[in-house]
Amino acid sequence: MSVLQAVSAQSIAGENFVGEAYRDAMHRWLNANLPGSFRSDSAAFASPTLQQSVAWEAAMYRAGLTGITWPQAYGGHGRSLREHLIANQEIGRLAMPESVNSIGKELAGPIILAVGTEEQKRRFLPAILEMRNIWCQGFSEPEAGSDLAGLRTRATRDGDGWRITGQKIWTSGAYRAHRCLVLARTGALEDRHRGLAMFAVPLDAKGVRVRTIKSIDGRESFCEVFFDEVEVAQADAIGAPDEGWAAAIRVLEIERATNRMYRAWRFENELRHLISACKADAALSAMVADRHYAVRLGEVAVEIEVLKAHVETAVEALARGDKIGARGSLAKLYWSESHQRFAALAIELLSQASLPQIQAIKVARQRFEAIYLQARAETIYAGTTEIQLGIIADRILQLSRGK
Amino acid sequence: MSMAEGLQPDEFAATAARAVTACAGLGIREQAKNLAGDGLLGVIADEDVGGLALPLGFAVPVIAAAHSGLLGFPLLETILIGRLLQSSLTRLAAAIVSGEKLATIAWQGEAAAERDGGLLVLNGALARVPCAASADHLLVRMSGGAAALIPANAKGVVIEDAAGLDLTVPEHAVRLEAVEVPIGSILPPGTWDLLTSDANVLRAAAILGSAEACLALAQEHASTRRQFGHALSYNQAIRHALARQKLGLESIRHAITRSLSGDGGPVQRDAAFLAAATYGSSISEGALQIHGGMGFTWDVPVHRHLRRIRTLQAQGDASGLIGRFGRRYVSEVAPFAEAGA
Repeated sequence: MSVLQAVSAQSIAGENFVGEAYRDAMHRWLNANLPGSFRSDSAAFASPTLQQSVAWEAAMYRAGLTGITWPQAYGGHGRSLREHLIANQEIGRLAMPESVNSIGKELAGPIILAVGTEEQKRRFLPAILEMRNIWCQGFSEPEAGSDLAGLRTRATRDGDGWRITGQKIWTSGAYRAHRCLVLARTGALEDRHRGLAMFAVPLDAKGVRVRTIKSIDGRESFCEVFFDEVEVAQADAIGAPDEGWAAAIRVLEIERATNRMYRAWRFENELRHLISACKADAALSAMVADRHYAVRLGEVAVEIEVLKAHVETAVEALARGDKIGARGSLAKLYWSESHQRFAALAIELLSQASLPQIQAIKVARQRFEAIYLQARAETIYAGTTEIQLGIIADRILQLSRGK
Repeated sequence: MSMAEGLQPDEFAATAARAVTACAGLGIREQAKNLAGDGLLGVIADEDVGGLALPLGFAVPVIAAAHSGLLGFPLLETILIGRLLQSSLTRLAAAIVSGEKLATIAWQGEAAAERDGGLLVLNGALARVPCAASADHLLVRMSGGAAALIPANAKGVVIEDAAGLDLTVPEHAVRLEAVEVPIGSILPPGTWDLLTSDANVLRAAAILGSAEACLALAQEHASTRRQFGHALSYNQAIRHALARQKLGLESIRHAITRSLSGDGGPVQRDAAFLAAATYGSSISEGALQIHGGMGFTWDVPVHRHLRRIRTLQAQGDASGLIGRFGRRYVSEVAPFAEAGA
């Protein structure tokens, strides 16, 4: 925890900053407090431990950088979505680690806010922000990946509570999570979307077993989660039983439209890091000055600008009170594919560095080779590219499927 | 900016669409009068020259509607020149805004100038000049970033038909052979950069209008054309192709919005045009593909939009701009410091 000793004890969350003053405050706090070893564009980078990440994110919350739009009654800072965007722009500009509790903050939390009971809001939401409870998302199953309506995990009534049996897969971070937001079937499989319910299942409950799956980047971050007659209290059922599907759709719309809102600004941080590394290398500095790579880097920069436009337009629409609906699919499709193109360009460039490799190239390769591999998942999770295209065709273009 | 109060840019879209429809079949000078009558030629020009003094964002739906409706008039150039001349050549600006005079811009090439007493003598080869054969005045780029306004009938101005894709607003080539113009016709250095920055936003709007028309045509065709017992839109390959076109279209629209927002600057304006050039081409080519053999016929208007988009892409020098855009980005980043970030 020593790397976090520098974190300012002074909270800026309670200050009444407005507009650019708010941005300045967030910017100053992050720059003063983000440990150098957390910055993947730094020679001092060392991947933080879980405990370090938890402590850092708790400090970010105290500073007012997470839970920004959540009501103050549940631990949030009660600010606007536009301020959420400002804070995320500043978060994106720094090469900081991804949240270890983004499911809690960006999926479970908003769903509980939308359909949870008052007791659930008070019990779960502050614990998410304070990083006392880490969440994971139990939607996908071996037989129900993109087609969630086909999921088979069953929730049956058991006295006042429920009993859950089934298997989830691709559950990111389950090994470190305290709770899993589980989508389970209360009716028959033929009911498809009907009869689905959502539960906040404690992962230390009897009958829960978590097995990690090694992914292509060598990490063991996503998991299989097995539920064998797991007893779940009614108090942990989120929303009414037949609200499960509607809540799941809401989760996915939120996930696509607003989660990790900082992405475009993080991609810009990545692009600047890539260029700075190239400019420190004899061979690459000549290459990035050459028209061929200038054009290709320019194309990445244009895509980042367009992605910012997608995000800002979505925020403005939501801030006006519009429902985001299927439009989140446009942004999700755009960022996931453009990030893959960028990552491929990055490793192509870095592979042509001078020998012996200088420190700048070693740091950049470590970061971009990881990004390249992780980006392969980005067109798969949160709805594959093919699912997004289907949603755009069905719900935005409303193309006829009729014979 | 008093005219802007209470008005929204989108309100101009319907007016512009009606005006474009009313221009069908008219000669270019009659079109100018009609468009001026609806206030569209002076939408961003000062009230002193008969304009509406609205921000650039109000010209976006006007240009988009003009291109969606395949208006055969150099509207983008007229709107920009009217405002450009409003301070220095007020009477001419008023004549352009009122539709009495026609002016256009040579988007490619530049003129070299030599001073001869109170006159400048211009020489040069220029191209990508929309409707030059009908224009009264030509705005040309000078070396050094200034611009000159030249009467189209001045001695030494040779206007020639040019090969070009655009059928709706045909381009011409112009040669300047010792053309004498008064010093007062020269607009100051920096004029051209300002002009092209605004032009890039409006070109993106033009491409948006054409791309929107293409996607609408493709969607209509996919919904009504039947093959193998189904509408084309029954097939996932067609649905996904149209969904990608929609993503491109919304990307252009959002990029334009951002370029005109408080965060918008030269980078965002260039990005809007570059995004429009890329996605506009793929949307129009994709729409043609969806139409199958019908898409390759003269009568289906997708090719007219495709031709215009490709022409706008070239007029804005998208391929040169993307290189400059990348170089500018690269030049602004410092080399990695070995001591750590």
